[in-house]
Amino acid sequence: MTAQAKIHDLNGASREGASIVTGHTVGMEFPGPVTALHEATFGIKKGEFISLIGPSGCGKSTLLRIVAGLLKPTSGRVNVLGSPMVGPRPEIGMMFQKATLLDWKSVLDNVLLPNTLAGSVTKADRERAVDLLHLVGLRGFEVAFPRQLSGGMQQRVALARLLNSGAELLLLDEPFGALDEFTRERLNLELMRIQSQIGATIMFVTHNIQEAVFLADRVFVMTPRPGRIAAEVEVALPRPRTIEQMKSREFTDTAFNIRDTLGGFI
Amino acid sequence: MTEPSISDVPMEKPKGMPSWVQHLIVFAVFIAIWEASVQFQWVSALILPSPFDVVVAWWDLAIVRKLIWDDFFVTLTEVLIGFGFGAAFGTVIAVFSAMQPTFRRLVSPYMVALQVTPRIAVAPIIVAWLGFGMEPKIAIAAIICFFPIFINTLTGLMQVDEDRMEMFASLRASRWQVFRHLQLPGAMPVIMAGYKTGISLALIGAIVGEFVSASVGIGVLIQRFSFQLLLPQAFACLIMLTVMGLTLYGAASLVDRHVVFWKHDALLAKISRRLRTRYADLLSRDRSVQAVKEPV
Repeated sequence: MTAQAKIHDLNGASREGASIVTGHTVGMEFPGPVTALHEATFGIKKGEFISLIGPSGCGKSTLLRIVAGLLKPTSGRVNVLGSPMVGPRPEIGMMFQKATLLDWKSVLDNVLLPNTLAGSVTKADRERAVDLLHLVGLRGFEVAFPRQLSGGMQQRVALARLLNSGAELLLLDEPFGALDEFTRERLNLELMRIQSQIGATIMFVTHNIQEAVFLADRVFVMTPRPGRIAAEVEVALPRPRTIEQMKSREFTDTAFNIRDTLGGFI
Repeated sequence: MTEPSISDVPMEKPKGMPSWVQHLIVFAVFIAIWEASVQFQWVSALILPSPFDVVVAWWDLAIVRKLIWDDFFVTLTEVLIGFGFGAAFGTVIAVFSAMQPTFRRLVSPYMVALQVTPRIAVAPIIVAWLGFGMEPKIAIAAIICFFPIFINTLTGLMQVDEDRMEMFASLRASRWQVFRHLQLPGAMPVIMAGYKTGISLALIGAIVGEFVSASVGIGVLIQRFSFQLLLPQAFACLIMLTVMGLTLYGAASLVDRHVVFWKHDALLAKISRRLRTRYADLLSRDRSVQAVKEPV
C-alpha cells in the first residue's frame, strides 16, 4: 500500500470516528456589546480540511482564535483532542495573513523558533527544520533572511515553522490572502499535498468562495450580525484535487450553493 | 521617535565623475570663496578669519605647542561618560516603563516635564551642586542625552506588531521570551537611532557645562579665545569639535549598522555566506525523500 493510499484510508476510517475538535454553542461578545459569534456548534474530524468562509464581521477569525486558545469564548465550550480549551496548546498551531517572520533570524532560525522557545535547539531539530524547508519548496534558502524573500516564499517559511511546531491541528487565517492569484493557487495546491502527507487537520479562513471549495472537505459558511455558522457544505470532489476540477459541475454547484447561502450578506 | 538626520536624506547616484571628485571640487570652491571674501575685505578679518589663518592657528595649537589635546580628551571623556550614564538610565527606565504599565503611567508626567523644560537650563544648578570638575559636565551631558534615548527605547519596545504577538502567544512564549526574541530585537532600529541622536546631544551637554564653568575643555578654549578676539584659534577649536562630533556619530553609525544588520543587504549576504559554511553538513543532506515518503 502506498503512503498516499494509507493516509486516505486512515482519514476514511477516522471520519467515521469521533471529532477531534468540537464546539458547543460557542459565543463571543465584545464590549459594546457586539456579538462577534453566536451559538456556533460544530465538529471536525481528524484529517479533515475545513474552510471557514464569510464576509468580514462574520466571526470567522474570532472562531479561529477561540479554537487556538487565544480568545476565551463568553459562552459555550470548545474541546480539542478530548480536553477543553483553556489556552494555547502545543498540538494547535496558527498561521496568519502576514508571514510574521523575525527579520533578524535566518530562514532556518525562524523555522526553529518553536524549538528556541521550548528551550533548546538540537542537531536533530535543525535537520528536521531543513527537511521541512525542503518539503515547502525552499531548498537552497535555508540561510537566507526574510527580507531577501518574496511574499510567497515568506509564507512558505511560516508554513514550515508551523509544521515544525509539531501541531496536529493547523489554524490558517487567510494565509495566502495577501499574495497574487498565481502564487496563491500554487501554495494552495502545495498545502493540500503537505496535508495529505502529514495527515494534519486544518481550519482555513478565507473570503474567497472558489478557494474555500477547492481546498475543503467541508465548508462552514458564516454570516454576520450576529456572526454564526449558517451552513456546513460538503465538497464531494475526489482527492488529490486538481485545477481542472474547478471546471466540473460538482465544483460550480457547490460554489453557487455557498453563494446562495451567503446571499443577502454580500 | 527617530529624529531625521542628514544621512537619511536620499542622495542620487553620482553621474559622470566619481563622487569624491565632485565633493572635493565643491569643498575647494567653498574654501576659495571664504578665502577671497577675507582677502578682498568683503568681510573684516577680525570678524571672519581666513581659512589659511585657521589652519595656521590649528597647526600652532595642535602640533607646535600641543596645547589643545588635554582639553580635547577632557571634553571627549566627559561626552563618553555622560553618554554612558544617559544611555544606561534612559534604556533601563524605558524597559521598565515598557514592561510595567503602572510604572509607565506614574513616570510619564515627569518625562513630559523633562521634555518641555529646556534641559540646558539645569546646567548652572548642576555646577552649583557638583563643583567645577568633570562631574557636572558629565551630569549635564547625561541629562541632555537621556531623553531621546528613553523615548526611542520606549516607543520601540511598545510598537510590537500584533500578529507577531499572537504568533508568540500561540507558541506559548513567556513574557521574558516575548521581550528577548520579539520586542527587543524589533525595537533595535529605533533604539539605535536614539543612541545616535544621544551621542550628538551629549557633546552639546559637555560644551554647555564647560561654558558655565570650567578650567579645561574645548568649550573653555573657544570661550577664552573668543573673549580675546583670537578668532582663528576659536575656529580651530570649533573644527576640533566638528571632528569629535563626526567621529562619535560615525562610531555610533557603525555600531548601528552591525546591531541592526538585517536592514542592510550587503551584511545579510555576508552573514548568509558565513552560515552556509557553518551549516555545510546540514545543508548538503538530502533526506527530504525519507521525511516525506511521497513523490512530490
